Amino acid sequence: MSKQHTPQLAGLVLIAFFAIFPFVYSANDYPYIMHLLITGFFYAILASSWSMLAGYAGQFSFGHMGFTGIGAYTTALFIHYIYISPEATNLCTEYAIGDQFLIFVNPIGITSSTLTQDCLRQALEIWDGSVQVTAMPVWLGIALGTIMGGIFGLLIGLLVLPLRAAYLALFTLGFSEILRATISAELAITRGQAGIELPHLFENGLTLFGRTFDKTDKLPPYFVMFFLLLTCLGILAWLSKSKFGLFVRALREDQDAAAALGVNTTRYKVLVFVITSMMAAAAGAMMAHYIGIITPNNLMILQMSLVVAMAVIGGVENFVAAAIGAIIIEFTLELLRNSFEVGPFVVDMTIWRLVIFGILLMVTLRFSRNGIISPMIDYFFRGHVAKETVAKRATGTSP
Amino acid sequence: MTNLVVKDLNKRFGGLHVLKGVSFEVDGPELIGLIGPNGAGKTTLTNILDGAIKPNSGTVYLNGHRTDQLQPYEVARAGLGRTFQVTRSFRRMTVLENMFVPALALDRGHNRAEINQKALEVLEFLTIDHLRNEYAQALSGGQQKLLELGRLLMLDPEIVILDEPFAGVHPRLMEVIYRYIERVNGAGKAIILISHQMDSIFTLCRRLLVLNYGDLIADGVPDDVKRDPAVIEAYLGAEEGEPDAGQEGRVQP
Repeated sequence: MSKQHTPQLAGLVLIAFFAIFPFVYSANDYPYIMHLLITGFFYAILASSWSMLAGYAGQFSFGHMGFTGIGAYTTALFIHYIYISPEATNLCTEYAIGDQFLIFVNPIGITSSTLTQDCLRQALEIWDGSVQVTAMPVWLGIALGTIMGGIFGLLIGLLVLPLRAAYLALFTLGFSEILRATISAELAITRGQAGIELPHLFENGLTLFGRTFDKTDKLPPYFVMFFLLLTCLGILAWLSKSKFGLFVRALREDQDAAAALGVNTTRYKVLVFVITSMMAAAAGAMMAHYIGIITPNNLMILQMSLVVAMAVIGGVENFVAAAIGAIIIEFTLELLRNSFEVGPFVVDMTIWRLVIFGILLMVTLRFSRNGIISPMIDYFFRGHVAKETVAKRATGTSP
Repeated sequence: MTNLVVKDLNKRFGGLHVLKGVSFEVDGPELIGLIGPNGAGKTTLTNILDGAIKPNSGTVYLNGHRTDQLQPYEVARAGLGRTFQVTRSFRRMTVLENMFVPALALDRGHNRAEINQKALEVLEFLTIDHLRNEYAQALSGGQQKLLELGRLLMLDPEIVILDEPFAGVHPRLMEVIYRYIERVNGAGKAIILISHQMDSIFTLCRRLLVLNYGDLIADGVPDDVKRDPAVIEAYLGAEEGEPDAGQEGRVQP
């Protein structure tokens, strides 16, 4: 096996480790560690897709968390407001489809006196258990959230076409904040800061290989998120090896030169927004169903900064490095929470851990601009290049 | 047969009238020098031909197809390729990856092995094949110019515009660029060569276009252009239009 295959082998070992871990780990903090890993996978999807957008294509967007919000709120609103009923409520907006009715529940906001008084609940009270309504499937909500992320990615991609560098960053930051503010303001529909509750990924439990999991078990969402991460990484790997990867990197380096060489820069700039936005939206929708509630705070700029920092520390020009960086940092930030005493002083690590994180980010940017993990991968892939160049020059006709 | 028809091009930037009704034609594998003092409008003309900027009026037809309103990538696919005055290699991509970009953008049905083979042949011709796996940013300025020329060979356009290919290049690499021009022109491609290196222009080109503050003041064979009083006054400046050999062929501003 050559040195160049080491990263692939390490990748397979990592995948095997994460696939086996839930079955061999049995300490008391099992649910907590599993939760950390699920969250780590979520951030790994965001960091790796942002790495494709910013590191490969050079589109420094700060709207990535906005797309997770679009995915999460699309599935939340879809499942919260749309039902199928065999009977007409005669209270809600409803459409007959065959012998069923598609019910649109009216938005009533978060006033305590009206919280349980939407049109469907009133109808259910009237029916007194004689009619069973069906909620929309979670997976359809997640799929819709992913598609909606892609549609918004297309719109933002088209809008930012003439923008570069700081202007692009500020535009996307503005988009994300407008989205957050709109969701906060539209109390009647989104319930504002109170958030919308969502059913769990497996609301009715799951039976697999003779073992039954209830809706709060960590194992099913762990593998769902892990599978989504692997799918996203697989797509990113395929894209990076294809002409798409080559063109978006050319776009990053010099958009005008790429266009002069026949690259349709508009198409690839928009495409990279669509693809990475869909990944963020899928992760956001999945995470919202795992947590069980979505609030506008999930879209805060602090969250976006965390994703950026994870990608930068891992290595923004390598999506695998960004994903690994995200998982490591998610764990490190959590494990650093334990406060300790030094003599009479109590070091409150809930605060100081963020200082350590900030220092790590600054040191990385100053001394290793392509992160900590990415140079290690580069060492195996490109460590031989300098020697080869010298050897070819010695044997060739080059000046 | 390559045919470029530029008709009555006008371009204004605010109060500046940068191109004033420029018209000319390129027929077949001509090797044309485009000269003029700084600010003459050479780069603006190139940018319009390339589709990077749109003219205020006038038309450009390439092989019978109007191209002045097309996007740069469409112009490149239609058969016009260019280099830039300041070299614009994809610095954090390897030399080979740089070569792959135009070949894959054209999508002419070649597989990667064929493209790789052609890229290596071109790099060998340009004497930088030993650098194939290095990032372009590791190359010297002259080598980056060669890489930019190599990318054009991968694009394989009908008309090539070379913007200052000799600027800041070592004499040994200039020989390579000379061979490159002979190869491209010999393959039936037209070349428009923009340069302040008068020795090279007069050695290589069989026709000269002279721009002066947006006006095309001369279009003819080098010997005639050298004697053109308007050109002497506006640009060449030397007695009887002879280039100043004592200054290594560089035109004095």
